[in-house]
Amino acid sequence: MKRLLALVHREYWENKGAFRTTPMVIGGLYIVFLLMSIFTTAHFDNELYTFREAVRLLAEQPAEFRAAHGYEVMLGSSLFFTIVLAFVVFFYLLGALYDDRKDRSILFWKSLPASDTLTIASKLLAAMVLAPLIFWLVFVLTQIVMAVIASIMVLSVGENPWTLFLSVLNPLKAWSILLVSYLAASIWFLPIYGWLLLVSAFAPRIPLLFAVLPPVAFAILQIWIDFLRTFTLDSSLFGVIGEWVANSPAILTAQVQDGRGTLALGAPVTADFDHAVTLANILDRLFSLHMLIGLAVAAVFLGGALWLRRRAAES
Amino acid sequence: MIPIVSARGLSKRYGRTLAVDHIDLEIPPGRIVGLIGPNGAGKTSALKAILGLATYDGHLSVLGRNPSRERAALMEDVCFIADVAVLPRWIRVWQLIDVTERIHPRFSRARCMEYLAQTKVTPEHRVKQLSKGMVAQLHLALVMAIDARLLVLDEPTLGLDILYRKQFYTSLLNDYFDEQRTIVITTHQVEEVEHILTDLIFIRDGKIALQATMEEVEQRYTELMVRPDRADEARALKPLYERELFGRHIFLYDAVGRDRLAGLGELHTPSVADLFVATMKGGAA
Repeated sequence: MKRLLALVHREYWENKGAFRTTPMVIGGLYIVFLLMSIFTTAHFDNELYTFREAVRLLAEQPAEFRAAHGYEVMLGSSLFFTIVLAFVVFFYLLGALYDDRKDRSILFWKSLPASDTLTIASKLLAAMVLAPLIFWLVFVLTQIVMAVIASIMVLSVGENPWTLFLSVLNPLKAWSILLVSYLAASIWFLPIYGWLLLVSAFAPRIPLLFAVLPPVAFAILQIWIDFLRTFTLDSSLFGVIGEWVANSPAILTAQVQDGRGTLALGAPVTADFDHAVTLANILDRLFSLHMLIGLAVAAVFLGGALWLRRRAAES
Repeated sequence: MIPIVSARGLSKRYGRTLAVDHIDLEIPPGRIVGLIGPNGAGKTSALKAILGLATYDGHLSVLGRNPSRERAALMEDVCFIADVAVLPRWIRVWQLIDVTERIHPRFSRARCMEYLAQTKVTPEHRVKQLSKGMVAQLHLALVMAIDARLLVLDEPTLGLDILYRKQFYTSLLNDYFDEQRTIVITTHQVEEVEHILTDLIFIRDGKIALQATMEEVEQRYTELMVRPDRADEARALKPLYERELFGRHIFLYDAVGRDRLAGLGELHTPSVADLFVATMKGGAA
């Protein structure tokens, strides 16, 4: 356990830029945009007259309305964090078992009494828990800072931010469901993580190419054969991966429903699962047949990655 | 005494080539063994098998363990420096020490810092900021701070300048080596290690060409320098190898009594480098 934590710590040191600086930059951008919009408003809005009116109108709305909208806005602002996190994890895993082979430092890491299984476990933990946790933490901090700035603005036009939004919002609910969805998505995407680690352990060079080309070639072949047989363009590997993302327990899309915007788990284009953002729907995916098949596929890929890693210092 | 390394019929095949060809080997504790051979002779392949970095055929036991199946456990008692400058370039020295301390049960931070204090390496340095020689010093400091029973050095000083090379072996011998420990070194710079070796192993084409202690080498091999007029007499005694230097003929004999040679010319104990050349170019030893 102590060794595993030391190895995860090592991953953090090596990927500080991706894991820590990236979400901080996103959080910083959110705050900068908020401040810029405030200054723009202050510049054109004579003595903040329009702003004052808007706050007053909002204050007249029922508390449930403000709570529901506030909740959507809070969760909705995580979308950018989530998408960047996906990119960070993707490229992190592609390099995880490749970079040290390339610069030969694998010879040093293999001289330490840590097994290859432990090494791969540490890389998975960094991708599945460490990176999402840091992104989530920075997201929460960003929202706190933004709430403080918004409160000051509301105070400046003579309204009470506590009664207006602070008391009706339920930030803990929004934050915790986001964290749960991050961790659930980590498990949901294990087959893809496994594939990336396998490629990372295998690729002689340019892992990105080896990760993307085989599935693309496979899917094109599938579509072509299907077309020859039936003259239709039906489901292929693209379809399977697309559906996998659409079914994922990560909050990925916003949609307009009954005249107001709501968020959805994955993309609400499939009927396998309920896409409403609830804890039950997140867990539903984890305890599904889909997940079981996904875990089996992940096990094969990870087994392959381990097999390759054991032999990685041979030549 | 239980050997540190014990191999029987150890082989390593890459495709059609047999890099290591049925080697039998025993390395007892408390020795400094030089594993010497030309490029591609199978030294590194043999070492990788011993370190659990590669698969192999045949029987191999290192400190009583099977290296291919128990690499992680084995690395608690075995240290290695495979090639110069393989430390991760992004890491800071303090992070490297930290991670080693947390993973390695026999690592002493205090001892490592002591060794580092003798160099210009500081904890805040990143490895990529260090010169090649400083990286080697850092790696040696890490390795010497580990209380291991077997240390394997594969070309540890390749590309370093002479000052670093001398210092490297001096520290190793003065501060690290004792009767409990065993060191296996491969290097092309034979002259630099020959005075610290206790045992010699020559490898050629994946086979062991010579395995002997340095005392045995001194007893068995004699170098004889003669004038040209007596060269035929010397040749009659079946030397292993013959070469010419400044008009003198130099012969290398295996197991020919010094008393039989003394009358012909000057006698020397051959250097490891000369013995190596003779073994590789001449017949089997």
